[in-house]
Amino acid sequence: MNAVPHLSWYLALSAVLFTIGVVGVIIKRNVISMFMCIELMLNAVNLTFVAFSSYFRDVTGQLFVFIVMTVAAAEAAVGLGIIIAIFRNRESLDVDDANVLKL
Amino acid sequence: MFLSLAFQIAIPDPNVNVGLILPELIVGGVGVIVMLVDAFARPTQRWITGGLSLAGLGAAAAASVWMWLNWAGNPPRGFHDMIVLDELRLSFTLIFLFVSALTILISMVWVENEKLPAGEFHSLLLFATTGMMLMASGNDLVIIFLGLEILSIATYVMAGFRRTDLRSNESSLKYFILGSFSSAFLLYGIALIYGATTTTTGFPGTTNITAIAARLDIARYPALLFAGAAMMLVGFGFKIATAPFHVWTPDVYEGAPTPVTAFMAAGPKAAGFASFLRVFIFGFPFVAAAGWAAKANAAWVSAMIVLAIITMTVGNIVAIVQNNVKRMLAYSSIAHAGYALVGFIAAGAATDLDTRNSALAAVAFYMLTYSVMNLGAFAIVTLIARRNDRRTEVEDYNGIGFRAPALSFTLSIFLLSLLGLPLTAGFMGKVMVFSVALKEGFYALVVVAVLNTAVSAYYYLRLIIVMFFRERTTPWSAPRVPASVALAIIITVIGVFYLGLFPNKVIDAFQKKPVTAQALR
Amino acid sequence: MLGAILLQATETTATTTAAQSVGAPVTAYWPVMIFFLVAIIFPVLPIVLGRFLRPMKYLKAKMRPYECGIDPETEAHDRFTVRYYIVAMLFLIFDVETIFLLPWAIIFMGDDFSFTKFALIEMFVFIAILIVGYYYAWRKGALEWA
Repeated sequence: MNAVPHLSWYLALSAVLFTIGVVGVIIKRNVISMFMCIELMLNAVNLTFVAFSSYFRDVTGQLFVFIVMTVAAAEAAVGLGIIIAIFRNRESLDVDDANVLKL
Repeated sequence: MFLSLAFQIAIPDPNVNVGLILPELIVGGVGVIVMLVDAFARPTQRWITGGLSLAGLGAAAAASVWMWLNWAGNPPRGFHDMIVLDELRLSFTLIFLFVSALTILISMVWVENEKLPAGEFHSLLLFATTGMMLMASGNDLVIIFLGLEILSIATYVMAGFRRTDLRSNESSLKYFILGSFSSAFLLYGIALIYGATTTTTGFPGTTNITAIAARLDIARYPALLFAGAAMMLVGFGFKIATAPFHVWTPDVYEGAPTPVTAFMAAGPKAAGFASFLRVFIFGFPFVAAAGWAAKANAAWVSAMIVLAIITMTVGNIVAIVQNNVKRMLAYSSIAHAGYALVGFIAAGAATDLDTRNSALAAVAFYMLTYSVMNLGAFAIVTLIARRNDRRTEVEDYNGIGFRAPALSFTLSIFLLSLLGLPLTAGFMGKVMVFSVALKEGFYALVVVAVLNTAVSAYYYLRLIIVMFFRERTTPWSAPRVPASVALAIIITVIGVFYLGLFPNKVIDAFQKKPVTAQALR
Repeated sequence: MLGAILLQATETTATTTAAQSVGAPVTAYWPVMIFFLVAIIFPVLPIVLGRFLRPMKYLKAKMRPYECGIDPETEAHDRFTVRYYIVAMLFLIFDVETIFLLPWAIIFMGDDFSFTKFALIEMFVFIAILIVGYYYAWRKGALEWA
C-alpha cells in the first residue's frame, strides 16, 4: 500500500513556490518576469487551497481555485495590455527604465 | 420557451435573495449598459454615458437608502451567508456611490478635453464601484476577494488611462505589479485561514467570516491561523497604503490622471477599509476569555498599533519634503490612513457591542470626511494642472491666490480641513476617531496622532502660503471652471462645513442599531 | 457557505470515487503514468529508429525548403506584431471564463427541477455578459486584423 503524502508536504511545497514568487518579484527587473512570478504566487495559493480541499474533502477550496484562476486570467489580460501600452511608448520592458516618477 | 421559463422562475433557495444585492446589481448593470451605449453612440453623443452613469449611481443610492429604511432586526444575510446587510455595509456603500458620482462630475469635461474615450472611463468607474460595494457587503472571503479584484483590475486600467503619456503608463504598471503582488498575499492569507479553520471535530475549513470567528477556539491549526491573519494584514495594508507597504502610493498617485487620483485616494482606500474592518473586526473579534481567539485578537491589534504609528509618522514627515502637489497629497493620504487606523484599533479592542459599533461608525465617518475634502482638493488640482497634468508642482501655485481668488480660497478650505481645523469636516472626523480610541484607553496612540496632526500643519499651510504670499514671475491666467466641476466643488464645500458643524445626523445614521442586537461573537 | 452549493454533486459521486481518490492516490494514477510513458515512447521511438535505419547522404538541394517552399526572408526570432498580443488577450479572457461552465454543468441536472431552471437562467445571464464584452471588443475594432 502506497503511503499518502502528508498534507504538510503540499503546504511546504506551496510555501516554497510562494516564496520563490515573492523573491522573484523583488529581484527581477523585467516586467514579464515579475508578472510570471506573481502568477507563480497565485498558483502556490491554488495548491494550498486544493491540498486543504482534498485532504478534508470539502469543495469550497476547489471553487475558490476556479475563481482565482479566472481572476488571474483577467489580471493577465489587463497586465498584457498595460505592458503593450508602455512598450509602444518606450521600447523597453526593464523596470529600471521606468524612472519618470522618482521614488 | 425561454421566455416562459423566465416568467415562472421560482427561486428555489431562500438564500438567493436578489434584493440583498440590488445596489450592486444596479451599478454593474448600468456599467454594462454604458459599455453598449459607448459602442453604439456617435462621438458627438458621448456625454450620454456620463449622465447614464450618474443616473445609475443615483438609483443605487436610492436602493441602498431604501434597504436602510426597511432594515429591522438582525442583519439580513443571503446567498448562503455570503452577503450581509448591516450598518458597516450601508454606510460604506453610500460613501462609494458619493465618491463615484463626484468623480464623474470632476472628470466629465476633463475626459472630453483630453480626447479620451468617455464611455470606457465611465463603465470602468462603474465596475470599480461595483467591486467596492461587494467588498463592503461580502461576509465571505470569496466575495471580498472578488470585489477587490473587480475594483483593482478596473483601477489599473484607469490609472493608465492616458495611454500615450509615459507617466500614466508607469503609474499603471507600478499599480498593477504591486496591486497583484498584494492580492497574492491576501489570497495566501485566505488559503491559510481556510485550512486553519478545519476543526478538530471534523468539519472542513471555511471562508465565511462569521464561521471563522466561531471556529477560532476549535481551529485545528492555530499556528496557520496567525500566519493567515498576518498575510491578510499585509495584503490589506498594501491596499489602504499603510507604511511600510505604501511605497507604490506616491508614484501611482502622481502619474495617474488627476481625476483618477482623486478617485483612487478616496474610493479604493475606503473600500479597503470596509473589507479590512469586516475581516478583522468580525472575523477575529474581541473575546474576554483566554484561548486562541483572544490571542489572535490581541496579536492583530498590537500589530495594527505599530502600523498606525509608522503610517502616520512616515506619511506626514515625507509629505513635508515633497515639491509636487499630487505627491504631497499622496503622502497626506497615507497619513490619513494612519488616523483612520486609530479608530480601527479602537473597534478591534472594543469589549462591548455599543463601543464597537460607534468605533465602526467613527471610521466610516472618517472615510466620508476624507473623501469629501480629498475629492474637493483634487478637483481644484485638476483645474490648475490644465491639459496633460502639466502644472502640478508647488511652484505652479506661486501667487495664484489673488489671480484666482475663488479657486485658491476653496483649495485653502480643503487643505485646512485635511489639516483638521475646527468647524471643518476633517476636525470632526479626527475627533470622532480619537475619542473612541481614548475611550478604549489608547492614550499614547492618540498623543502620537495629535502630534502628527501638528506636523502636517507645515505642508498644508505651506501650500496656502505659496498661493497667497509668494510672488509669481511667469504669466498665469485663471483656468475656466466648467459647470460640472463647479457643481462638484460646491457639493464638497457644503459637505466640508456640514460634516464639520452638524455631524450628529450622519453619525447616528452610520450606527443605526438593529432592533435586536447581534451578539458580539 | 460556498460548499453547500455543490454538496449535491459531492454526495452522488463520493461513493464511487472514495476508494481510489483517498485510499491510495498513487495507485489511482497508474493508468495516467502508463499513458505518459506511452506518450513519450511513441514519438521518441520512430525518431531514434529512423536515425539508425536511414541512409545518410547530404546534398545541397536536400537542405532547401521542400519542393514548393520559398526561402525564408528573415530570422524566425522576429518581433511579433502587437495584434497577436491583443488577440491573445481576448482569447485568454474568453477561454478561461468558460471554466465557470464546469461546476455549473455538474450541478445543472439535480433532483430539483426548479433549481435547474434557475441555473439555466443564471448561465444565460453570464453568457450574455460575455457576449456584450465580445461585441464591445468587436465594435471597438480589437478584432480587425488589417
